[in-house]
This record gives sequence, C-alpha cells and structure tokens, in this order.
Amino acid sequence: MDIHTSDLTVDFAHRRLRAVDGLSLRIAAGEHVALLGPSGAGKSTLLRALLGAVCATGSVRVGGMDPYSAAQRRAVRRATGVIRQGGDLVPGLTARTNAFMGSSPEWTVRDWLTVLCGRVPSRYAVRLGTLAERHGVAESLSAPVRELSGGQRQRVALIRALLPGPRLILADEPTSGLDPVNAAAAVDALCALPGSVTVIVATHDLAVAGRFPRILALRDGRLAHDGATIGAEIYT
Amino acid sequence: MTTTSRWVGTAALAVVLGWAVSGSGVSVAALVQGRQGAAALIEGFLSPDLSREFLGDVAAAVVETVQISLTGLLFAALLGLPLAFLIAGNVQAPRPLRSAARVVAAMLRGVPDLLWALLFVATVGPGAAAGAMALAVHGAGLLAKLCAEQMEAVDPGPVEALRLTGAGRPATAMLAVVPQAAPGLASLLLYQWECNLRTSTVLGFVGAGGIGQELAISLKLFRYDELSTLILAILAIILVVDRASRAVRRRLGATS
Ligand SMILES: Nc1ncnc2c1ncn2[C@@H]1O[C@H](COP(=O)(O)OP(=O)(O)OP(=O)(O)O)[C@@H](O)[C@H]1O
Ligand SMILES: [Mg+2]
Repeated sequence: MDIHTSDLTVDFAHRRLRAVDGLSLRIAAGEHVALLGPSGAGKSTLLRALLGAVCATGSVRVGGMDPYSAAQRRAVRRATGVIRQGGDLVPGLTARTNAFMGSSPEWTVRDWLTVLCGRVPSRYAVRLGTLAERHGVAESLSAPVRELSGGQRQRVALIRALLPGPRLILADEPTSGLDPVNAAAAVDALCALPGSVTVIVATHDLAVAGRFPRILALRDGRLAHDGATIGAEIYT
Repeated sequence: MTTTSRWVGTAALAVVLGWAVSGSGVSVAALVQGRQGAAALIEGFLSPDLSREFLGDVAAAVVETVQISLTGLLFAALLGLPLAFLIAGNVQAPRPLRSAARVVAAMLRGVPDLLWALLFVATVGPGAAAGAMALAVHGAGLLAKLCAEQMEAVDPGPVEALRLTGAGRPATAMLAVVPQAAPGLASLLLYQWECNLRTSTVLGFVGAGGIGQELAISLKLFRYDELSTLILAILAIILVVDRASRAVRRRLGATS
C-alpha cells in the first residue's frame, strides 16, 4: 500500500507539544523505509497517526484509504501489521495466543470457540509454526507472556504482525532488547518481505537503517533527511 | 488555620457528637439496667443447645444459607458482568448503552440488600428464593461498578495494540481487556461471595430464608441456648469461607 500524507500535524494540546509538524510524505507501495531521529522526534507518533490512532490535522491516505474516516479505519488497520515499541503483548495469555491474535478480524464463530478453548485454528497452525521456528520462539509458545524474556516478547510481537499477511508493516523499534543474532533475524524477516508489502521501521540503530534503501529522519516532528544513506550527524 | 478557627471547629465537632450520642440513648445507665438481660444471655451462651434434633435444624439452615449465597453470586455475576462490560470505558461500548448500564447498576446497588429482600418477600413470598434474588440484584449493581473499574485499570498498551490490528470492540475486549483483568475479576467475585454469606445470615430476619430465620425465632422465644449454637454456626461458616476464599485469592495473585 502506498502512503501519502500532506501537512500532517499532531498536537498534544494538554502538553502544548507539537509531536508531528506539517509533515508531507510520499512512500510508494512496496517501498522499504527506515525512520530515524532522536528520542522524542515523533517517530512513534507518526506511525500511530498513519493508523488514525492519535488526533491529527492534515490528511493521510494509506492505500488510498483514510484512517481518519470511521468507515475506512478498520480496513486500513486490518491490512497493516504493527509492532509497537516494547511489544505490548497481553500478559495473561500465552505466547501462542498472542502470536496469532492479530488475525482476529478474520475469525469465524468456530475460530473464536477454538481460541477460547486455548487452541489455534488449524488454518493458522502451519504458518504460526514456521514463523515461530524462524524466530526461535517455538519452545516458548505455550508459556504465558509474563514468563517470556523481553527479547522473546519482541519476537512474538513480530510474529503477531507478520502472521495475517499484511500489505503494510509499521515496526516501532522491532530490534530493541534483542541479541545481535535475533536482531539480525528480525531485520532479515522485515527486509525479505515481498515487494508487495510496504515496510516502515522506526529505529535508533544506524546499522539496521543501513539495510533499507530509503532512510527518513525526523527532528522535532519535521522531516530532516530523506535519502539513501545517513550518518550519526542527525543526532547532533 | 488560626487558633480561633481551630477552637471553633473543635467545639462544633464536640456539639455534633454530643447531640448524636444523646439522641441514640447510649449511656452507662442503660447498660446497667440491661444487666439482667445480659446475665440471661451469657448464661444461655455458656450452655449452647447441642441436642441432636436442634443440630439437625441448624445444619439444614446452614446449608440453605450457603445455597442462598451461591445462587445470589451466580445471578449477580450473570447480570453484573455484562453491565460491567458496557460501563468500562476501554471497552468503548456505544455511548447510550454505556449511560443506560451505568444508571441501571447505580439503581440496583443504591437500594440496600435488606430492602431488596423485603421487596422480594412481598412479591414472591417468604423463603430462600426471595433472599437469593435480593443478593443477586444488589450484587449485580455492585459487581457492575467494581468489575468495570477493574477492567478500566488494565494496561492500555496491549489494548491499543489489539485495536491497531483492526480488531472490533468486542474482540478487543475479549482478547486484551478480559485476560488482563481476569485475576482481579475472580478475586472480586470471591469477595462478593463472602459478603453474600454475611448478608444471608441476617436475611432471615425479614423472612428471606437461611439461618437468620432460626436466629429470629430463637431470639423472639428468648432461647439463648439455641441462639448460642446458631451464632457459633455462623461464625464457623464465615471463618471457613474466609479462609477458603483467601487461599484461592492468594493462588490467583501468585499466578497473575
Ligand atoms: N500520548 C501522548 N500524550 C502526550 N504527549 C505524547 C504522547 N505520546 C507522545 N508524546 C510526546 O510526543 C513527542 C514525540 O513522541 P514519540 O513517542 O513520537 O517520539 P519517538 O520519536 O518515538 O521517540 P523514541 O525514539 O524515544 O521512541 C514526545 O515529546 C512525547 O513526549
Ligand atoms: Mg518511539
């Protein structure tokens, strides 16, 4: 899905803070983009705004749909896989349930019954197994999330985003808390997504950013850089 | 605060308290006057009625009390949990439904349970059914409010994460709100059961069944030996349930 914002602005009025400031951005369908910028630059807020999750002015189109229209918001979200900073899994449930709950909009009544009995509907089982194997959490699937390490949670969150087969991936620091091997596997998984999937990865890791053909940098909510390479100077 | 205003405040407080005490008729004289009654009471209490016949009655009353408390809890949960769902802000139920549920819950718990019992005795007649219905209705209002607060207190992160997958409001509630709130909800239900049990020991005073009915009869007949047995039985059930529910809650806490 392509992304098009014009004059997108997000104000947190109660803090008199403009987190995203008049951003106009074009990302083509299938493009893989890294999003850099100092802490507090507005990266997470921008990603949330693309899904209509914060109050914003200006306009956003994702795959031609408007996430700020009540009628189209769910369609945009269903087509998108999100990995949030820190994972944000549901702690009382198992890693397995968390890993495939992103597909809930497609569940039939039967699927719901299967899930409530603590099992995986069969049409997700193979895909879940493959993803869990690839990201090294196959043995942890039965454990409740609260017993997983930070890095294991992060990988379950990655699987949750990938499993429904999204056309847009928004990953907010998907490698935070991962050891180098698992971090590389996570980035590999994102980079290996087919050309039909648009990927935006917010990160503080310049090496991770270097794996992406296009690098955007935010600073105080504005676009500070848009190119193929970048150095550490954006942080100074 | 100045010294004067503090003195005025203290004096006003003393006047109000004095007025309340004198109005309620509490005095040492009243206690002394009642010493004969107290003596009879103590005598009765020291010789509880342990005849096989009466113990049978007590056991039946205890069983009925427990049944009332459990039935009351079951229907309070069946009625109160759906209301809690509608009330909880992070479930995002449609606004009119939410306000309606709030009003209904407030009315249910606003009327004291003993008053509900009187109303049900008047409609369905005296007996355990009236007591169970009273506990169900009052408990539903209480559970709706407390469970809604429990659900609102969950970590909002996973809730938003689920909403961002495109999940609808019921799906988000089922997958992100309830699993996080579950230990708290279970603990609330157990606590409500304890309260039900305490209340159902006095429901009998208004004719709504349970051990309170026996209590009222023995009290009217001045049978303090029977009263003693009944009070011991009540203490026993409350202690047992208290222990049991604390043990279960500790296990819930340990695994949450
Ligand atoms: N819900 C919110 N309410 C108020 N202010 C917020 C909220 N979310 C973010 N902010 C503020 O908006 C600004 C941008 O935050 P954002 O989370 O987008 O930064 P970020 O670039 O993702 O930073 P980091 O690299 O630390 O994750 C920050 O100053 C933050 O304090
Ligand atoms: Mg961030």
